[in-house]
Amino acid sequence: MAGKPVRPVNAIDQTRRMLSLVTYLRERPGARVEDVARAFGITEDELVSDLDVLPMCGTSFRGGDLLDIDTDGERIWWHNPAALGAEAAEPLRLAADEATALLVAARAVATLPGLREGDRQALLRATAKVEAAAGEAAGASSRLSVTFESEGGVFADVDRAISERRRLWIRYYSPARDEVTEREIDPIRLVSVGHTYVEAWCRRSEARRTFRLDRVAEIKILDEPSAPPEIELRDLSQALVQPAAEDPEVVVEVGPGGRWVAEYYPHDSADELPDGGLRITLRTPDPASLRRLALRLGRDGRIVAPSELADSARRAAREALAAYETAYEVGYDAAYGTGQGTGRGAADAGDAGAGVPAGADPAGGPHDRQEQGL
Amino acid sequence: MAIAKAERLMNLALCLLGTRRPLSKRELRESIEAYLEAGTDDSFNRMFERDKDDLRELGLVIATVEGLDGEVGYLARRDSNRLPPITLDAEEAAALGLAAKVWQQARLAGAASGALQKLRAAGLPEDVDPYEAHGALEPRIPVHEAAFEPLMLACRDRRPVVFDYRKANAAHPETRHVEPWALECWRGHWYLAGFDRDRGAERVFRLSRITGRVRSRGTGFTAPVPDVVTVRETVASWAGESADRSALIRLRAGAGYPLRARASSVRELGDGWDELEIPYGHGLDAWLVEFGPDVVVLEPAELRADVVDRLRAVAKG
Repeated sequence: MAGKPVRPVNAIDQTRRMLSLVTYLRERPGARVEDVARAFGITEDELVSDLDVLPMCGTSFRGGDLLDIDTDGERIWWHNPAALGAEAAEPLRLAADEATALLVAARAVATLPGLREGDRQALLRATAKVEAAAGEAAGASSRLSVTFESEGGVFADVDRAISERRRLWIRYYSPARDEVTEREIDPIRLVSVGHTYVEAWCRRSEARRTFRLDRVAEIKILDEPSAPPEIELRDLSQALVQPAAEDPEVVVEVGPGGRWVAEYYPHDSADELPDGGLRITLRTPDPASLRRLALRLGRDGRIVAPSELADSARRAAREALAAYETAYEVGYDAAYGTGQGTGRGAADAGDAGAGVPAGADPAGGPHDRQEQGL
Repeated sequence: MAIAKAERLMNLALCLLGTRRPLSKRELRESIEAYLEAGTDDSFNRMFERDKDDLRELGLVIATVEGLDGEVGYLARRDSNRLPPITLDAEEAAALGLAAKVWQQARLAGAASGALQKLRAAGLPEDVDPYEAHGALEPRIPVHEAAFEPLMLACRDRRPVVFDYRKANAAHPETRHVEPWALECWRGHWYLAGFDRDRGAERVFRLSRITGRVRSRGTGFTAPVPDVVTVRETVASWAGESADRSALIRLRAGAGYPLRARASSVRELGDGWDELEIPYGHGLDAWLVEFGPDVVVLEPAELRADVVDRLRAVAKG
């Protein structure tokens, strides 16, 4: 299934799984391979590899009490369930990491704005029961927390449109061009990775696009049915948008105050500079969309290439400055000051904060494919 | 070899769970083929200690009992290892099924699946995920930071840590000694809150700015851990989201939608420009500069000066 985390072959995870498996199989003679794999959230191949190991396990390899478990590929048979005493086959208590992983995730999903109320209530009930069953093991789960950002109203409309298979009309803000455009989309799924996005088939560009919910200025559920073409769902967790190899290259040099660029923009390389800065090479289908970045960087960095991009930022800055000079002429001076640079510099707002772009999170902005060719 | 190790761990677990009396190391060695093949006593002992630690990571409570003959024995007692009764309905099961899939980090993804499998073995109903039915909702917790796992373990075990950290505007990283309290993920980035020993005060760190390895320092915490650790509020204020003042700007008609979205008032000037009152928090100057010639700051003078200053730096190129 797309988006499913890749599970590495790991002795700890496999042992954990096999321990639960013996408990599960003991109660269900002749269980179907397919059903067990689904119940355990693993592939049939993974299950079969567990079933290969189990006959080598038991309370002693000498006494002939190894687990006699086999499968004909369809059903699983355990010929000597008595080999394992009832006490060795009871469900095991949750480990601290297990309780943490499940509880932190459940709490995070429960706070997702726009989640259906029935599902939220089910999550909260389940969370309380798991907390109670985990006992002390649940204690450390408060040391980890996750917040998903979402626009509740937009989320609910998208969710409804998906389940009713209806088309959506949206007004959507593209930061790269600083414009709001209208389009009709056939929604496919909602993905929350920090922010929440809807992946959809865009009827305007006839292509797959992802839209960040907090950039949806307006939304309407249309009467037309949604009919997205069958497309392969990608794992969006690593990066929502991966630049293509044929995209033009942009080189940015930043000082220490501009290092955040490497944290927010997917890039090909980031080489250390002697002054504590970075030389960052990235690719984007539309370098002009990076003018915002050039303007924001100010004295913390500059565009090295392409030169048209650097020129356009310079032109924009000069044009903007001219407006202040005009304002001066018409008498804003007295009211608003001369605009003489105070060189406040970067505020030391704390260890993690300074330099984090405020307001608009540029991540994904200039690389959003949905902006391409619009 | 992963398979061989899983087989060995499984055998040790079954022996410890299946016995009513403590088993000595000698007995365990004779019962488990992999231990017999371990070779020297030394290598067996090392293997045995590691395996016990691994089983404890899985949640197994292994008791160590000294017998009358002075020999140490081991067993996993039934009452300390049994999952207490838990009954979940199909809806709750489905909700947990969704939650178990959100981790992108291998260790926690494995732990979440493991938790669900234990609950499944205890009778958790087979679910029909209400969202999975049409595959429509995929919450994912991203973990890209290498420092995450060691810090997660240090928070769990309340172990002080040392790491090199580069502040936002610093040219070079600095070594920090921290008693880690909690980790929080906000907008896809992880932050650590803890007690900074050198500064003698609480600090919040962004994990992506930790350079090099996170080292563990054996000694315990020296400062009390607060009941409630709030990371998000601190970070949000740095990101300019706790504005206590407002600014007046002119914005070209049709431009700057996100500025309009958070404006407390918008007035059409009729000459192709609008006048907006917007919240003025940290970082607003940098953000306004992004809009280039489409924004003119009217007041306060301090913000206007900062924006002009930034524009001059870009104009000079």
